[in-house]
Amino acid sequence: MNQNIQREVSDAGIAILTFDRPDSTANIFDERTLDELNDHLDFLEAEKSLQGLIIQSAKSKIFIAGADLNTFGKEMSAARVAMAIERGQKTFDRIARLPYPSVATIHGAALGGGFEVALACDYRLASGDSATKVGLPETKLGILPAWGGLTRLPKLIGLPNALEAVMSGRQYSAEQALKRGMIDSIVPRKQLTAAAVRKIQQVEGKKRAPRTHLSNRPPLSKMIKAQAEKKGMARTHGHYPAPLKALEVAYASLNLPYEQSLENEKNRFIELALTETAQNLIGIFFLQERAKKLKLPKELGPAPAAPRQTVHRGLVIGAGVMGAGIAQWLSSRGIRVILKDIGPAPLGNGMRSIAKLYGEAVKRDLFSEVEARNGFDRILPIYEEVPLREVELVIEAAVEKLELKKQIFADLEPRVRSDVVLASNTSALSIDAIAESLQHPERVVGIHFFNPVHRMQLVEIVRGTKTDATTLNTAIAFVRQIGKLPVLVKDSPGFLVNRILLPYLVEAVRLFAAGYRIENIDRVMVDFGMPMGPLRLMDEVGLDVAEHVAKELESRLKHLGPLNDTLNKMIAKKWLGRKSGKGFYDYQSGREGKTNSELGDLQPAEPEIANEGDLRDRLVLSMINEAARTIEEKVVEVPEDADFAMIVGTGWAPFRGGPLRYSDHLGIATVVSRLNNLRDRVGTYFAPCQLLAEMANRGGSFYPERNPIPSAETEPQFEKGRHESDA
Amino acid sequence: MNEPIYIVEGVRTPFAKAGTTLADTEAADLGQTAVRLLVARTGIDASSIEEVIMGCVSQPADSANIGRVIALRAGIPDLVPAITVHRNCASGFEAVTQAAEKMLVGRGHIFVVGGVESMSQIPLMYSHQAAKKFAAFARAKSLPQKLRVLSGFRPADFQPLIGLQLGLSDPVCGCTMGQTAEILARDFDISREEQDAFAMRSHHKAVAAREKLNQEITPVYLPNSKNGRTFMDQDNGPREGQTMQALAKLKPAFEPENGTVTAGNSSQITDGAAALLLMTGSALKESGLSPLGRLEGYAYAGLDPSRMGLGPVYAIHRAEQRTGLGLKDAEIIEVNEAFAAQVIACQKVAKSQAYCRELLQRQTPLGEIPDEILNVNGGGIALGHPVGVTGARLVLTALKELRRRNANRALVSLCVGGGQGGALWLNRN
Repeated sequence: MNQNIQREVSDAGIAILTFDRPDSTANIFDERTLDELNDHLDFLEAEKSLQGLIIQSAKSKIFIAGADLNTFGKEMSAARVAMAIERGQKTFDRIARLPYPSVATIHGAALGGGFEVALACDYRLASGDSATKVGLPETKLGILPAWGGLTRLPKLIGLPNALEAVMSGRQYSAEQALKRGMIDSIVPRKQLTAAAVRKIQQVEGKKRAPRTHLSNRPPLSKMIKAQAEKKGMARTHGHYPAPLKALEVAYASLNLPYEQSLENEKNRFIELALTETAQNLIGIFFLQERAKKLKLPKELGPAPAAPRQTVHRGLVIGAGVMGAGIAQWLSSRGIRVILKDIGPAPLGNGMRSIAKLYGEAVKRDLFSEVEARNGFDRILPIYEEVPLREVELVIEAAVEKLELKKQIFADLEPRVRSDVVLASNTSALSIDAIAESLQHPERVVGIHFFNPVHRMQLVEIVRGTKTDATTLNTAIAFVRQIGKLPVLVKDSPGFLVNRILLPYLVEAVRLFAAGYRIENIDRVMVDFGMPMGPLRLMDEVGLDVAEHVAKELESRLKHLGPLNDTLNKMIAKKWLGRKSGKGFYDYQSGREGKTNSELGDLQPAEPEIANEGDLRDRLVLSMINEAARTIEEKVVEVPEDADFAMIVGTGWAPFRGGPLRYSDHLGIATVVSRLNNLRDRVGTYFAPCQLLAEMANRGGSFYPERNPIPSAETEPQFEKGRHESDA
Repeated sequence: MNEPIYIVEGVRTPFAKAGTTLADTEAADLGQTAVRLLVARTGIDASSIEEVIMGCVSQPADSANIGRVIALRAGIPDLVPAITVHRNCASGFEAVTQAAEKMLVGRGHIFVVGGVESMSQIPLMYSHQAAKKFAAFARAKSLPQKLRVLSGFRPADFQPLIGLQLGLSDPVCGCTMGQTAEILARDFDISREEQDAFAMRSHHKAVAAREKLNQEITPVYLPNSKNGRTFMDQDNGPREGQTMQALAKLKPAFEPENGTVTAGNSSQITDGAAALLLMTGSALKESGLSPLGRLEGYAYAGLDPSRMGLGPVYAIHRAEQRTGLGLKDAEIIEVNEAFAAQVIACQKVAKSQAYCRELLQRQTPLGEIPDEILNVNGGGIALGHPVGVTGARLVLTALKELRRRNANRALVSLCVGGGQGGALWLNRN
């Protein structure tokens, strides 16, 4: 039988446990692994001659990726969860209580339970490899570190750093972890074991003495707690209980006996794990894993042989906001990019914004100066025609004009190798229309990034009617290569995310024009759980861009309802949103964040009194209705796609699980009756789509009764790879 | 030469007066801008490059072997080696001719060569005396020790040595470059007015040639500039409407009392870079590219360092001995304008039997360097003289000019600090 953990004992009496899960690139703590670990611990406790213990991983990118989330994903009961928590706590406790020193040698990701086991050791050495990441990301999943993490970390590194780590769920590089004391030193991977042996011999078999941090005692600890609480409240808007619960447990651990603190961890964990919020957040995690393994739809027949190789050289056309953002992202992933535009002026602006992105990434510690400069050097700004023989993938991000794009693709077609995928980053134009006049439309595909590119993990891969399987597979492999999360959508107006978002934005403008106050419109949605309100979002996107997309979609989606001329009037005054200094809000210095005071004549003199429930319905149901249409029209295959894309692509209230999950939560019948009500009171464009009406009739729902998550083919683990939006 | 050596393509950055638009751009950035555009434009497989050879006079302390830094940062594969060469003002020539020599002995077929110089960023230095005290301070352990070392510092220790000034001085003859020009002005009776008139023409020619010169320029992007300027795509040395009156106002720069050499009739101190793609005939054929021209012959020559400005005539003479090509064969001529006095002196020597006999031990004069075909697009006085780059710039400018004129032969030459000259014969066919 294959073992998850190998054990050897060196001549010097040092035991080494090597985690090496069979047939997998990751190690995780599932029940069997815990069983094996306990068996080894029986030996380790009994064997009196041992001098020390080393825990290591045989994997190239992962130390231990955490607990098996499936344990908490389905058929959950408080009793079951309690058992799982106790099991881990007790196991790790046995490591901590071994009579000799223990060292975790971390190479690769040590996250969640994977880091908690390292915390149970006396020392932690880590490789400086870029794959090495440590952290406790549990609160991002709506739960908390309950295998001793919240109890041990504050004692080890002090309350302030511990709170930052557990409340943000951040993953730290070896260097960042060293700075915070989460690891003891950085050692080249090859020398980890030797260094661990040396450490054990150095301390002559003694356990590590506990350290006290000044910040762990009152009054400092109290102040730190209060501050973290305030920050946590501001960040979560009260929608996410986990970070604040983690804070409570970590703080309490400072004054509680060890066992009680563990008990505290467990009880708070159970409270969290049973909430719908945690279920939805864990669900998102599985959806991300699903996106990483995105497969082609069946009707395309058997998948072609392995997609083309890694892309080393790309061509990005257009140095505007999107083109520059894409070029920066690709270059930061090691791809050489030719950035093409029509002259030095647009290229100069593009290069400037790229330099700024890199500069910010260096400030945020995501790159070293040298890494950033090397990334920047990978971009060649150019406006003359140069040979394109070495280009392996093209992404066009030029101005959104169909004729221009057609021209660009027609020029490109004979100049690039015949196996090169031609992608457009268009957000509103049709891929079919762009590909129409080409000799080989089958190699045209949409690869649609979201703004800002370095932050947004979602990429829509848009399948035109002629796009072939090879092209799609290459696009999917490419998106994966650059650490983004793909969703496959049909070529249709607005594709998926913009399509669902647009009716909502248009409705927000209608509400504004009807006299509702900007603050009220936006606040309702922030309270709902959106990262920002719709009017502020439009300011960020740019009113001109929003207007352009709206116009484009209005002509293609008949049910959208009337557009009013508010945006046009604002654009005429050069109020384009943040980029121009004014939009619905004012961005000029001194007035930041205040609403634009000159909007008066765009609204009726008498303000409309806000009824929050009504506002929320009009905005949220606009999205739900449209999301349902994307299913009805098969823009995407399954509701998971739409929910996932909205959450990852727009930050759509993650704890609610996405618009379709949320409509299940409301009940489809309720959704339909409220939509009907709005149709009668406000406008016919609220009429529920056919699918919703039909589902309401038969009492259907988008998802089966909970156990929602297509977990069968996912690797259950915390590890999130590089897509954790690092610059 | 047996196997023909082709200059296939070339490109340079704009030249910027030191302390202006490119002052904050590192030398390596200038160099890689030219090199990577050259590679992209020609579409050659960068791994087929035998070596990258860059001329540079004042290598930045943080970019030792800047040729290698440039090659790597321009995305040329690790496996392609690179060197930096230094023959003072002829470093750009040296890059070309070293590559040629390698190709001629069968060591490779494809070379990227060029030059780079950021004269804005030549550092100020501490004297050796001061440096020793700093080192002693760093070694001192106890406070009394430290205090003792500190008390040994003198105000003079903090007086910086100006790297640029040192670079433009000849340690052997003890002259600055400007003083060598003053010597020539006196030896050959060249007046201030003659020099100023020459300088004015250089500006007028360069201004008139702006469009032509733009053909050899690729922009430098300025992603971090503070003034909002995002790129530079033109030389900023040439002055529109330069006048004799304006030039006459300038004080002599090197001999305040009796001198005639001013900042206005000397070359400018400049930042910039250039890159050329060189190939053997066989490699060229395989590439399918059409070349700018080929290197027909060349020579370097040495002379009295205190008269280094005459270097071109020595080199032209020597090249004639090697190739049989004389001044009469040239359809255009470039003599880089380190100083107006220096170019005028070259013209005077070349056509004079007496001088040629005395200096070059030849019986016949070298011949005329006619104004009409000399530096037709301006020279170092107007365009600037980034010392490590100029040689490569002359080759590039002359070859492009041959094409525009549908002419065949160009002679390009330089004087070299330390008492040398260099001359290259270029042929478009």
